[in-house]
Amino acid sequence: MLDTAFLVRRQNPGFLLTSLSYVGGLLVGLTVSAVLLVHAGVPASALVDEFLIATFLTSDGLSQTATAALPLVLVGLASGVAMRVRFWNIGVEGQLWLGAIASTWVALNGSGPEVLRLPTMFVLAALAGAAWIAIPLFLKLKWGVNEVISTLLLGSVAFLLVQHLLFGVWRDPSNSFPVTATFPEASWFLVLGWGQLHAGIFLVAVIALSIWFVMEHSRVGFYADAVGFNAKAALATGLPVLSIAVGLVLLSGALSGVAGMMIVAGTEHRLNQSVGNGYLFSAIVIAYLARAKPLWVVVISFALGAVFTAGNVLKVFYSISEAMIVLMQGAVLMSILMAQFFSSYSLKRPKN
Amino acid sequence: MTTALQQAGDMRQPLGTPAALLMRGIGKSFDGKAALRDASFCLEWGEVHAIVGENGAGKSTLMNVAAGVYVADGGDQSIDGEAISLRSPLEAAAAGLGMVHQHFRLVESFTVAENVLLGFGRKAAVKTLTDAAAIVSAKSSEIGLPVDPHKLVANLSIAERQRAEIIKVMLLGARILVMDEPTAVLTDEEARTLLSFAQRLSRQGHAVVLITHKFREVAAFCDRVTIMRHGETVLEGARVANVTEAEVARLMVGDALTVAGRPLSRPGDVCLSVERLSARATAHGQSLNDLGFELHVGEILGIAGVGGNGQEELVACLLGLDRAGAGAIVLDGQDISTAKPDQRREAGLRVIPSDRFDSGLIRELSIADNLALTTVASGSFGGPFLLSRRAMREKAAEAIDAFDIRGATPERPASLLSGGNAQKVLLARELDHGLKVLIAHSPSRGLDMKAAEFVRSAIRRAVEAGAACLLISEDLQEVMSLSHRVAVMNRGRIAGCRQTGDVTPEWIGGLLAGHA
Repeated sequence: MLDTAFLVRRQNPGFLLTSLSYVGGLLVGLTVSAVLLVHAGVPASALVDEFLIATFLTSDGLSQTATAALPLVLVGLASGVAMRVRFWNIGVEGQLWLGAIASTWVALNGSGPEVLRLPTMFVLAALAGAAWIAIPLFLKLKWGVNEVISTLLLGSVAFLLVQHLLFGVWRDPSNSFPVTATFPEASWFLVLGWGQLHAGIFLVAVIALSIWFVMEHSRVGFYADAVGFNAKAALATGLPVLSIAVGLVLLSGALSGVAGMMIVAGTEHRLNQSVGNGYLFSAIVIAYLARAKPLWVVVISFALGAVFTAGNVLKVFYSISEAMIVLMQGAVLMSILMAQFFSSYSLKRPKN
Repeated sequence: MTTALQQAGDMRQPLGTPAALLMRGIGKSFDGKAALRDASFCLEWGEVHAIVGENGAGKSTLMNVAAGVYVADGGDQSIDGEAISLRSPLEAAAAGLGMVHQHFRLVESFTVAENVLLGFGRKAAVKTLTDAAAIVSAKSSEIGLPVDPHKLVANLSIAERQRAEIIKVMLLGARILVMDEPTAVLTDEEARTLLSFAQRLSRQGHAVVLITHKFREVAAFCDRVTIMRHGETVLEGARVANVTEAEVARLMVGDALTVAGRPLSRPGDVCLSVERLSARATAHGQSLNDLGFELHVGEILGIAGVGGNGQEELVACLLGLDRAGAGAIVLDGQDISTAKPDQRREAGLRVIPSDRFDSGLIRELSIADNLALTTVASGSFGGPFLLSRRAMREKAAEAIDAFDIRGATPERPASLLSGGNAQKVLLARELDHGLKVLIAHSPSRGLDMKAAEFVRSAIRRAVEAGAACLLISEDLQEVMSLSHRVAVMNRGRIAGCRQTGDVTPEWIGGLLAGHA
């Protein structure tokens, strides 16, 4: 009988068990996704075509995947660094919107030398993202307000702000949609000549490497783990708990802000109502699957970028809705998380 | 001497009516450690009976056996003359015995009436909230303990919660009411109200047990007293009128005062002085009031005291986790009372906290990481910014060897260590070259004999090598065996301090119980 069985936490799950359950979860998630797609009208034979061949084995697909992965790496890192200090940043999208707004402002009103245009956009996007997360951070430190709620809700506020601008002062009069005018080319990332891929990839590479280095090879990452696992012990052993937590949370906001800049300056070249859509869930999925490890964030972001690419194809050819892509991400995340349960616990039955 | 007293108790045989609760030869072990050995207890109808003893004497364990929370390893128990063996608190309630635990069993987000309804379960006659509220009100006025049945437990004061808990237990059918340290959380006024309620209840024919280590507080309201020590009943059911406070104090403490083994060093200059330290209480805590002491180089100052008298708060203040309080803390001539934890560490302060995985070690981190926690800041593992994991592992391997930490490799998470070996990791980190003052809070709690001895001798060696140690412990034997001087902490202050040789059972027993 199941109700007489009980769970025992495994003391030291081995590497093999951990990887097996991870891979197992991934397979289950992909199977569920495939079933969903077939049910939605995609012929089963097309799945392999669209997913594997179109996204990984064609030049077009690969460049699209790489382009889609750039903001994903940034939001994944954003979610991950905050997660390391146990701050649940559920407002990645809000900070991303703020970053997009700040860089759009620079792009539309830019003056001064054109070489400084992109660096200014970068700095202001980072600051705007950091400022947006500073509000829930302050509320949490001062009054203990739960950041899950405050970051999430501030995301909606940020979106309303975007709408306010797009339907108001920033609306391009020559366009019937609520979008800004196209940025002058000084505010574009240089297109590298391989599909849509742009020079933002270098910025993302530098950022990802720096964060990997800081989190894995400097005392910052070491302190972050101590603070995240047991803040009280960290304080008692004399670690700079507050500055580590504040620093990483602000970094998280800044990274999300830069992701916003990456999208408007890299692919859209204008601000519209959809640049930030779906990044919150992606950020959470990536950070969880990567267990907040920066290099894994990069790997998983590329995998998720592929899902986006495949999703675009599916949207066009089989009129699959946007929501289906979120649903697939969710299915993969849930099944991997559930599979982790089996590497953490074993099922025992009482002896008699 | 005890036998005369015991006879005085035993001679009072039940006259015709069976005892409310009779326990004989009760034994109970946890993980091979005996908490009760051949303990006995006899409660009559119509009396208030105090069970007194030090922390860990077995009072609560014995009553938890009586209430069906624990199942005894051996012994007999009967309620109202009927032999029973209980397997759950529900069965105890059905037999008419209810216990009010030290930590109340109430759901905070429910109202009082909802809690009562929850306690009744599915098969009871009372099924609706209206009915539950009605019987709570009725019981409340019947026994004279005012409680609003519609109030959320979270919004009740501690005294109100206690009243709600008593009413719940009595509505579930208790005629024998056991209360574990009921006055510990109350003000003097509230305590008097509660105790006279207990007396009133007993006069109506119920039986009440008060578990306490503060005999003086309850003596005036009790009929008989049973004293426990080390899991045994050392005095069973003596009339309160026939015993003196001094005798109770001596029986509680027992032979704890005869053990020796303190460091050979002779105390030198003052290295830590604490003056007029005051701190406000945190939730459910004890405030510190004008606390002061001096600690000398090469000395162990033992602070005895019943848990919850401000020990945690004192450690938090010394360590710098709580810097809101007032007073001076001077370490080696340097006032550190406003310094941050890391600055205090730099000044030579080290700590072994009472709960090692709460504020000492980090479960999820590796042993190497845990050992490096306090020294990374000084740049000893790869300079001001970088971190050399290899250097950390090498250092950890040395410590594992030096302290004989079993089952440890540098990479293993600390959570996999046994209590004794985890404590060794902590010792290896805290007893380093920079150590000047060690604050050891219950350093051997929960450890087996061998591990406890290892911890004590490590502290002894550190002090002989020129450090000083503030040993805060509820284990009187530990305090007496290690300390040069013994102080007693009570209600957030130092109630008294003596050379260990001058400590008498009456003095320490009196201070522990809060007579001063």
